[in-house]
Amino acid sequence: MTSKIPATSKTVLQLEQINRRRAGRQAVQNLSLSLQGGQVLGLLGVNGAGKSTTLSMIAGALRPDSGSIQLNGEDFLERPELARRLIGWLPERAPLWAELTVSEHLDAHGRLRGLNGAALRQARTNIIERLELQPLARRLAGVLSQGQRQRLGVACALLHQPALLVLDEPANALDPVQVAALRSLIREQAAAGTAVILSTHLLAEVTAVCDRVAILHEGILRHDGPIDADGHAALEKTFFDIAMHGHTHPARAA
Amino acid sequence: MQTLAVIRLEWRRLVVRPLAWVLAALTLAWLAWNYTLLLGSFLAGQIQRAALADGPGFTDLVAVPLLAQLAQLAFLVVPLLTMSAIAGDRRNGTLPLLFATGMPASRIVLGRYLALLGWLLLWLVLTLAMPLLLAHATRLDWGKLAAAALGLALMLSALAAVGVACSTFASHPAIAAAAALIIGLALWSVNFGAQMAGINGGAINWLAMSTHVQPLLRGLVSSADLLWFVLLIALSLALTTRRLAADKERG
Repeated sequence: MTSKIPATSKTVLQLEQINRRRAGRQAVQNLSLSLQGGQVLGLLGVNGAGKSTTLSMIAGALRPDSGSIQLNGEDFLERPELARRLIGWLPERAPLWAELTVSEHLDAHGRLRGLNGAALRQARTNIIERLELQPLARRLAGVLSQGQRQRLGVACALLHQPALLVLDEPANALDPVQVAALRSLIREQAAAGTAVILSTHLLAEVTAVCDRVAILHEGILRHDGPIDADGHAALEKTFFDIAMHGHTHPARAA
Repeated sequence: MQTLAVIRLEWRRLVVRPLAWVLAALTLAWLAWNYTLLLGSFLAGQIQRAALADGPGFTDLVAVPLLAQLAQLAFLVVPLLTMSAIAGDRRNGTLPLLFATGMPASRIVLGRYLALLGWLLLWLVLTLAMPLLLAHATRLDWGKLAAAALGLALMLSALAAVGVACSTFASHPAIAAAAALIIGLALWSVNFGAQMAGINGGAINWLAMSTHVQPLLRGLVSSADLLWFVLLIALSLALTTRRLAADKERG
């Protein structure tokens, strides 16, 4: 099957033999994968498979114990400041500063990511419009519903127009309308050349929005390949094979 | 620029949190009340002091005692203000968001510290404004007042650095506040036992914060005292940075 949106030839992310121990166990083992601009990669796995650890390392919030991460061809571990402009990250459960308003959150994230003055105001206006956050702009983050928090988290991740968007369970707590809007947003970002990696428990989410799927089990990459033509059914079989029986499916080039 | 972004973020959080305003309002009201008492006492004793050739003036009897009261309040106010500096972020999961901006731990610590210090210095300036309002009507000893203000600024800076360090090492803001309060009081009074035993010199006296603040409140500025504060601030911020960097490594 071909990608829904043709990926640009530029490799945005390249992981080589990443290892990371966490909470006394090997959370990620010898993980290698790459992602090109415009591609949407779904990262699947049962709880504790190492998805969030992987995404935290890609986002720059956690250092791998060994291995290398290349971001736009540069060594990310040597130059962690690359994360500032190149990566947008939505962690699991969208952590927010409860005492700040939605608008103040966007300003704070923008400044932390190097936006200032008119550029920051423009980026904030655009993302508020795009994610329909106008009614919430002056509301404190502490009183937002879980779905609204999630939308704000996505807005913060997208604000500075990163080359790589890292989303950890972005559809959490969203209603079906919001899920559809999020899918459309992700495809829109990919069409604009952004590489997107998203972790989810929902197989339907992956088949609906991703070009490629990677399945982690016990910290090991068991499958990496495009979504097959028969989509959901094939993915479900592959996923349960891995999750229930620990089978490794030959990784295919994306 | 990223340090500035952290300062602005922390400052904004301070400004919108009721705790900072409640602390400011209550302490400034308390200090204003005490200021009026000190001023009343100063005015009542003016006639007796007129007979003294070189008696204490407005600075000795009103301005410096007011700053000494601010110093006492600082032991409680600074821990309450700094307790959430890092521990709060750790609890609500926002610390990884800062790590993920590629910013070194030192900038996160510096940004947080400078924002809190800004608030504390504003608190000091508002307190200083009380005696300064009468500057036109009385004879202030500007040198002594400047030394005392410097002493207070250094003390607030040191307590804030200790508070931020406690907030980084503690898992809960309340534990951070308790630890900062205990360390602050211990630093102040570590030599009290030695003094009661008649020992007024030596290492234990050098360790005590009171040894270095009191000369400044009397108008004596010595480089040894300034160095003590610089060392304490540098040590606290270095430990904080180290711990935060280790947090990032550990995940």
